[in-house]
Amino acid sequence: MGSTFGGINTALSALWAQRRGLDVTGENIANVNTEGYSRQRVQMQQNLSSVKARSYATTDGIGEGVRVSGVERMRSEFLENRARTEHGQSAYLQSQAGSLGAIEDMFSEPSDTALQSQLHDMWDGWNDVANNPQVPAARSAVLQQAGTVTDTLNNAHNHLSDEWTANRTQLSAYVDEINSAADKIAQYNDTIVQATAAGRPTNELQDQRDTQIMKLAELAGATATERDNGAIDVFIGNSQLVSQFQTRTMSLSGAQDLDAQAGNPLVMSWDDTGTPITLGGTMGGIADTLSTMIPKYSTALDKVAEQLATQVNTVHKAGFSADGSTNLDFFSGLPDGTITAASIKVAITDPDQVATSSTTGTLNNSVADTMADMASVYGGADQTYQSMIGQLGVDAQAANRRAQIQANVTDQVDAARSSESGVNLDQEMTNLLTYQRGYEAASRVLTTIDSMLDQLINRTGMVGR
Amino acid sequence: MTSFSRVTETGSRTRVLSNLQRALGRGQQLQDQLSSGKQIRRPSDSPSGTVTALQLRGELRATQQYARNADDGEGWLGVIQDTMSGMSSQMNKARDLTVQALNGGDATSQSDEALAVEIDNIRASLIESANTRYMNRPVFGGTTAGSTAYDAAGTYVGDNGTTSRTVGSNTKLRVDTTGPEAFGTGNNQLFAVLKDISDKIRSGDKDGLNQSLNNLDSAGDLMKSALSDVGARYNRITQMKDSAQDRLLTVTSQLSDIEDVDLPKTIMELQVQQTSYQAALAASAKVIQPSLIDFLR
Repeated sequence: MGSTFGGINTALSALWAQRRGLDVTGENIANVNTEGYSRQRVQMQQNLSSVKARSYATTDGIGEGVRVSGVERMRSEFLENRARTEHGQSAYLQSQAGSLGAIEDMFSEPSDTALQSQLHDMWDGWNDVANNPQVPAARSAVLQQAGTVTDTLNNAHNHLSDEWTANRTQLSAYVDEINSAADKIAQYNDTIVQATAAGRPTNELQDQRDTQIMKLAELAGATATERDNGAIDVFIGNSQLVSQFQTRTMSLSGAQDLDAQAGNPLVMSWDDTGTPITLGGTMGGIADTLSTMIPKYSTALDKVAEQLATQVNTVHKAGFSADGSTNLDFFSGLPDGTITAASIKVAITDPDQVATSSTTGTLNNSVADTMADMASVYGGADQTYQSMIGQLGVDAQAANRRAQIQANVTDQVDAARSSESGVNLDQEMTNLLTYQRGYEAASRVLTTIDSMLDQLINRTGMVGR
Repeated sequence: MTSFSRVTETGSRTRVLSNLQRALGRGQQLQDQLSSGKQIRRPSDSPSGTVTALQLRGELRATQQYARNADDGEGWLGVIQDTMSGMSSQMNKARDLTVQALNGGDATSQSDEALAVEIDNIRASLIESANTRYMNRPVFGGTTAGSTAYDAAGTYVGDNGTTSRTVGSNTKLRVDTTGPEAFGTGNNQLFAVLKDISDKIRSGDKDGLNQSLNNLDSAGDLMKSALSDVGARYNRITQMKDSAQDRLLTVTSQLSDIEDVDLPKTIMELQVQQTSYQAALAASAKVIQPSLIDFLR
């Protein structure tokens, strides 16, 4: 037989447990909108009565109430890992699509004002010169139109260069962010490992740590594995960023501007070993933009400028101008003779030096005419520019589509994740009711025992009074 | 959408939001297309369409230029044609006078002198016509940079360069006629022949005058054939101008097909999209709002 007052203890344990349940439910409801919060569940366990044979240990075979064995954090590590991968990939693709969008905006084709139309203006100008080689105004006009083309090429290069510099600044800002996030995770690891060893709950800390890791996944494509002691190791590109309480730092080195990029490529490396890091996430996207995308379009633009200058110069040098000069370059570039989008400019300032004629001293228009025909010549600058814009369109379209698909995948994983760890108010309300009823019932048990004991103590032995 | 065993407020809110965002994004895109009137606003909207649009724009500009070039060429050839037909009738007058001088056996030297003076005048006026200028250039002077094709003595001072206009892709049409082509060279050169005739009328050399009349006829033939050549070229350039203008319409409509929005279709799509967006909003409002809380006392 159990103790007379054993029942009171059982009811008390139930009151405690139900109250704990209500508290946890309250916590869940309070955090229904908190980002990164994982719902918690009270684990209740029945108290075993003494089963060992002892002379003083008496048992009635039923348990001794309930106890809260722990507060469980509902979170699937598998889904978390998948979410990190997908978020990282999504951030990478978004960043690429964003950069390509910026380059598209810069060229702003097809339009009636962008470079292609300026080239047309210039060829039309040459046509007017061919029609009336004797009119200086036509030649002045063609110089102005050519000047607009070179200005636009210069500006396009400057924009690409600015875009490059802005991205590089952003990348080095992200490096600092990563280094500080790594420190935070190591600190969380330290606290969590110590608290776990001491048997203290660390659910909230773990949520905060997961939020930091997700930030790293989006920034740099970080992945994570959990250790038995509760610490989490974070990896970037298969190298450890955080190992329990230790962190490594990374830094960015290499060219400071687009023009120096080819000779001195950007490298992201670990400070301790100097080995380069393969980045994912937003930073991976920016790194690709810096090392591949912007240089690609800058080179293509240089090619347009170089072709334009070479082809026009070849024809122009063979011609004679109104003042009799010949063998003059129409476009010029750097002092060493190379012509790039950044350096191309119109070499001629005097309209009388614009070559129009194939023979000296006549109003022959064959040079100006050949020039005008260059608008549609196979392999001309116009064609190179058009195929560059086509390539840009294909790249941007592919990047946009991939980013959209990846965003859907990420949504799916997030939905799966929230189905595991998100708070459902209906469920919490039900729990609230359950625990409330449990509490009421336990109080009723207490009342019943009380009145039972009252009967025993106060009313027993009163026969005949 | 995959169904999940457990649905949470945050999860369904996120999904509803992202669905609404997508619907709003589609609407935004359609509205952009409608307000700009273009379905290709950036290369990624349609890479191949963009390249075609760029090429068609090039063709559009080139065709506009061809039409302008043809206009200019028409001007040249028109001036040449008018000048030469005027000159042709003056030549007929000179021929009549020459024949008159040949036939007037008993004429006095005074009347011969009058005929000679008239022919000299015709010659001077013909030289003036041969120096006709268009856009400040002598039209019979080839590619000369000078201001005249013939000097006062009737000697050709132009060159044999030719001027052409591009009136179609790879089609260049000559728009000038040089002096020698229109008025002959050497002994058959119109102005030399006329000088010859007036000299011979003055000297009364009838045999020589007969010979000169033949020379005048061959100069006249040359001019007529040059005139018909100019006429043929004028026709051709007019045709090229017409076909450039036709092509302009075709290319413009092609460009519009590629670049511009199909208005009824886009408006319909926008309407459908708006309806579905509103339906999604209404559904979301119904789904998100109730929870067990509303039904607990």
